[in-house]
Amino acid sequence: MTRHHPDSLTLMEYSAGNLTEPHALCIRLHLDQCPHCCSRVDTLDSLGAVMMEHQPKADVSESMFDRILSRIDSDVEKNDVVRRDVHRMSPLQKLLGEDLDSLPWKRQLGDVSVLDISERFPGQSEQVVLQKLAAGGKAPAHTHRGEETTIVLQGAFADQKGVFNQWDFVVLNDQDEHKPVAVGCEDCITLSVLSAPVKLTGTFTRMLNPFIR
Amino acid sequence: MSTLEQKPARAEGRKDPWSQMLEKVGKNQDRQAYHALFEHFGPQIKYYAMANGLASHAEELVQEVFVSIWRRSCLYDWRKAAASTWIFTIARNQRIDMLRKMKRTSAEMQVETEDLWQIPGDNEDEPVTSLHRLMSERRIRESLSHLPEEQITVIAKVYMENKSHQMVADELDIPLGTVKSRVRLALNKLKVILQDQNV
Repeated sequence: MTRHHPDSLTLMEYSAGNLTEPHALCIRLHLDQCPHCCSRVDTLDSLGAVMMEHQPKADVSESMFDRILSRIDSDVEKNDVVRRDVHRMSPLQKLLGEDLDSLPWKRQLGDVSVLDISERFPGQSEQVVLQKLAAGGKAPAHTHRGEETTIVLQGAFADQKGVFNQWDFVVLNDQDEHKPVAVGCEDCITLSVLSAPVKLTGTFTRMLNPFIR
Repeated sequence: MSTLEQKPARAEGRKDPWSQMLEKVGKNQDRQAYHALFEHFGPQIKYYAMANGLASHAEELVQEVFVSIWRRSCLYDWRKAAASTWIFTIARNQRIDMLRKMKRTSAEMQVETEDLWQIPGDNEDEPVTSLHRLMSERRIRESLSHLPEEQITVIAKVYMENKSHQMVADELDIPLGTVKSRVRLALNKLKVILQDQNV
């Protein structure tokens, strides 16, 4: 059961379709495991429908409807009907495959490994990074320049704010200095979307910051 | 309100004529019902496209949305969303899809728009709705009429013009914190925030 959820304002930006793909992915992964937030998004989607109804209307022509009918008639010939995908792959599997452990992780200092997957999202300005903290391992203290949205994909980590379990959602910014520790017997793997590179605050700064090139 | 909420979901859901029309399209490929949906929602979707910067593609978006409504109508389940909510999510997704395709080739799109933004009812595992979901549109419509105009303006910019909270703040020349508090006040009235507290 997840305990850390996206706030309503973020869910609203998601429902409106205003989030970038990496951010939407973080929300989607959380929603898949959180009926509570799904129900909030349902309400927000309904708000979108009511807003659309509330706005002015723009005339559409009958000829447009005829064009639509000819499109769907050609569909019938092709028998192009949508069926429900029974074995729908999660977007995470599509992006990363089945086994997170077999990814080409880059070992950083100590217990931290990282994998930059930004290029999987062409045309996005954010950095998208997988981070792995070995079971029981500690990450060095760091703050965040700009905003970092994180979802836990596997295992759990803890910092001074609490314990973050699988599918928990957390947003950190430059006010948050933390020193996460992987808890439990599994490696902790997170997906983070960074609006700007992380800044280390400890003594190791230059050598191990995985996010500053 | 409380007496309304005690009504069974089915009775409440059936009252919405657009959901009934959409069901007819899904079950019987009813073209008359489809045309009625086009006349009602077509102008809304065209305005939506014009408001969010797709003006030169507005008719194309309306067409894509309606072709998608036809193809997917067999999946529509009135218990999971009212027709207007379902159609809004399709319009939103088609807009996102159109913008994505303008920016890159399909080979570059490993994840489809619908992997990221789901249409209600697409996921079979999703439990059949609670009364809460069916009530939400009616409740939102009622609550919205009591909201101050400045809150509605902010929400309209987010949903219709697809502006981030920051962009809304810049445009209205007010602090980001003011935009956020207007949204929070509105969501509070709409009971979305209340749901936060029940976590």
